[in-house]
Amino acid sequence: MNTIPIRHKWEPYVWLLPSILLMAIFVVFPIGIVFKLSLSEISKAGIVGGWNNFENFRAAVRDPAFGTVMLNTAVWVVSVVGLSTLLGFITAMALNVKFHGRRIARSIVVFPWATSLVIQASVWNYIIKGEYGNLNNVLLNLGIIKSAVNWRATYQIEFAWECGVGIFVTIPFVAFTVLAGLQSIDKAYYEAATVDGAGFWRKLWNVTLPLVKPSLTVCTVLNIIYVFNSFPIIYTITKGAPANKTDTMVTLLYMRAFYDNQKGAATAMSVIGFAILCVCAGAYMMVTMRKEEQ
Amino acid sequence: MRLNTPESVLRVNRRALIAALLAAVLCLVAVNLPIWEFSATVFAKKSGNTFVGDEKYQAVKAEVEAAAAAYAAENGGDPRIVENVTERTNSKGQKTSMVAFEVRQTMRRTGWDFVRSGLAAGKVLLAMVLCMLAAAVLLCEGLLGAMDTNWPELMPRKRGLRLAAAALGLAALLLVPVFMMNCNLAFSRWIRLATDGFPRPGTDALLHTLDGFLYGGTAGEKTLELMAGVQHRALWPLLAAMPLLAAFALCAVVCADGDPRHTLARVLLFAFIIVLCVVILYPYYVMVITGFRSNAETTDMYFQHMFPTKWVWSNLKDIIDRGVPRYLLNSLMLSVGATAIALLCGIPAAYAMARMHFPGRKAFLGFVIMSQMFSPVVLLVGISRLMNALHLSDSVLGLMFINAAFNQAFAIWLLRGTFVSISSEMEQAACIDGCSTVSALLRVLVPISAPGIVTTLIFVFINAWNEYTISTVLISTASNKPITVGITQFSSFNMIEWQYLFAAALLATVPVVILFMCIEKHLAAGLTAGGVKG
Repeated sequence: MNTIPIRHKWEPYVWLLPSILLMAIFVVFPIGIVFKLSLSEISKAGIVGGWNNFENFRAAVRDPAFGTVMLNTAVWVVSVVGLSTLLGFITAMALNVKFHGRRIARSIVVFPWATSLVIQASVWNYIIKGEYGNLNNVLLNLGIIKSAVNWRATYQIEFAWECGVGIFVTIPFVAFTVLAGLQSIDKAYYEAATVDGAGFWRKLWNVTLPLVKPSLTVCTVLNIIYVFNSFPIIYTITKGAPANKTDTMVTLLYMRAFYDNQKGAATAMSVIGFAILCVCAGAYMMVTMRKEEQ
Repeated sequence: MRLNTPESVLRVNRRALIAALLAAVLCLVAVNLPIWEFSATVFAKKSGNTFVGDEKYQAVKAEVEAAAAAYAAENGGDPRIVENVTERTNSKGQKTSMVAFEVRQTMRRTGWDFVRSGLAAGKVLLAMVLCMLAAAVLLCEGLLGAMDTNWPELMPRKRGLRLAAAALGLAALLLVPVFMMNCNLAFSRWIRLATDGFPRPGTDALLHTLDGFLYGGTAGEKTLELMAGVQHRALWPLLAAMPLLAAFALCAVVCADGDPRHTLARVLLFAFIIVLCVVILYPYYVMVITGFRSNAETTDMYFQHMFPTKWVWSNLKDIIDRGVPRYLLNSLMLSVGATAIALLCGIPAAYAMARMHFPGRKAFLGFVIMSQMFSPVVLLVGISRLMNALHLSDSVLGLMFINAAFNQAFAIWLLRGTFVSISSEMEQAACIDGCSTVSALLRVLVPISAPGIVTTLIFVFINAWNEYTISTVLISTASNKPITVGITQFSSFNMIEWQYLFAAALLATVPVVILFMCIEKHLAAGLTAGGVKG
């Protein structure tokens, strides 16, 4: 085992102490505050009162936008995680093949990951602007379209654009995690499969997928968490307009907390969101783990 | 697996040759069919304040019919009369209607019409046809006498000929969309620009050509007016030419290479990579060209260029005057501070996790993973209250701690993966020699795992640099804003100064992208190593 001898029983805890302190103060403490606030009465001025019998949760669920926002969040998470995993997987497969210019292609694929989400979202916001947006300009000047198209005609289309940007910025993360998994696969498996006469699809299904599954699981769980909590894209492109129709849970709770001064409902939403996230990520992990055991 | 037996190569070559020649012939036929349809208004007359069927209506209708007949007599063809009735209420409150008559002429033009017209699109079409012919000739010549031979034994010269045929086929394929785009430009975009008062140079010559092409030279001065109402579309022979050309190019490539599956996979791979890279680079292109345009050009819907007409470097100077250096400095301090704190706390923790066995190890790992579930956004209310209590809100120092704390899980994760992948033999030896665990870490492990540590360092740095949400809530003083929050001052609700926004965004993005490209090789490996072995 890859360990070194310890002199004192308490030594490992000393090593962990700075990290535990940092996270206790700046992560655990806010969690505690949020949970406590979600159960307490908060006045308009921000003064925290006592236990109020889950009134905040009732307020959160009664919020006129709650239903739409839950649906939006589901669409947002499922479409972004699902499609970016699919496309990221294909990208990883492509980048795993040897070809001229592969290093350049890899460097380019990493770009969106390295760029701040606010900046990405601002650029896409400009690209799809109705009258003078760059997409219209480029397509018109190239002659691909005959007249200017309104790229954000309805809020559904705007939300679809937001999902698209979400997918766009998530692909590199999936691609690189899967790529790492692909590169750690022993070539001997493929040679054996080829000798047995397996084609591309059989190799993909029977060799590649089982072997990259651990990396795929990790990256999907992380993606569910990140995408659920993703804020800048929607906040920059539509700010939830019109009338919270394009909000997700996170942007709605931000609006409620810092614009509408409903901190109680906002903290309750935080807790609800956290519960959903725990259930989803936990269920996903359980399902994949159980399949592995079988 | 490559097909290399003589029989299979023979079979593939024969099939491909037949398919290629068939595709070539069909393409040539397709070009001879009508490929573009125009629906143009040759005469228009409106009749206001009238009713369908009354005297005024009859008079105007007669006039329109006469015009249509005159047009038909002069130009031939079959003009249709279209009536458009709009009901409206006039100033006296009576219901009347307004009838707009149009004499519409549907015109179809074949590929040869295009070639003869002198339009740029015609030249593209001609180039396409020549490419096809040359490709067919080269393909026949390249395969002549080679049908019964195994392809590696063929003369290299012949293989070159077949490759050239493939390239020409591909060029012809790519020229189809070029042709369609050119038609859209000539029949819509440039006409629209001229109608709206922004003619591009050469519009007069274009109008003259169009006059000859569509109206037989009769329209003269009125061409622009007539063209403004023209609706046009590609017809099926042109659309059918695309798959045919694709089939031809593919067949030619197969003949050149001898292994259709391998070829197809390669073509698909490159197509995918190219599309992916173009899509990924597109926003950066937009950022660059918009960042250096003038304000008028960024919001000009008639802008006709793909690049700024004049690169406005003074945008950089303007954003410097508006506090961007201060924001960049704040971002730098914030990221360096956050990285330092995260690593100072993270390296010892990762070391203990990787090298020591102790009760509670699993629990700590679980805690680290759980903390990933909480994004700062969800905890914003809690964080802002905590920072107020600690008197750290609205300060860069507070942001440092928050960023370090929320990146702690990732740092520990990455570092632990690195440490685990390194054998502990040297440290064990050092410990036996009387070294303390502290110096075993500092003198032995840290130098060996430097690449992993640098990767973690850059990763945390970039995360802190790109962070937006916490900063936007916690920071209210302008001089404390990091760049991600600072650039939002250029986009207020009623007026967005795109050029400044993107110039500042460029300054914020370029260094980070370069850093990320440096660690790209190690990053993914670290991510999986940490995750899978957890």
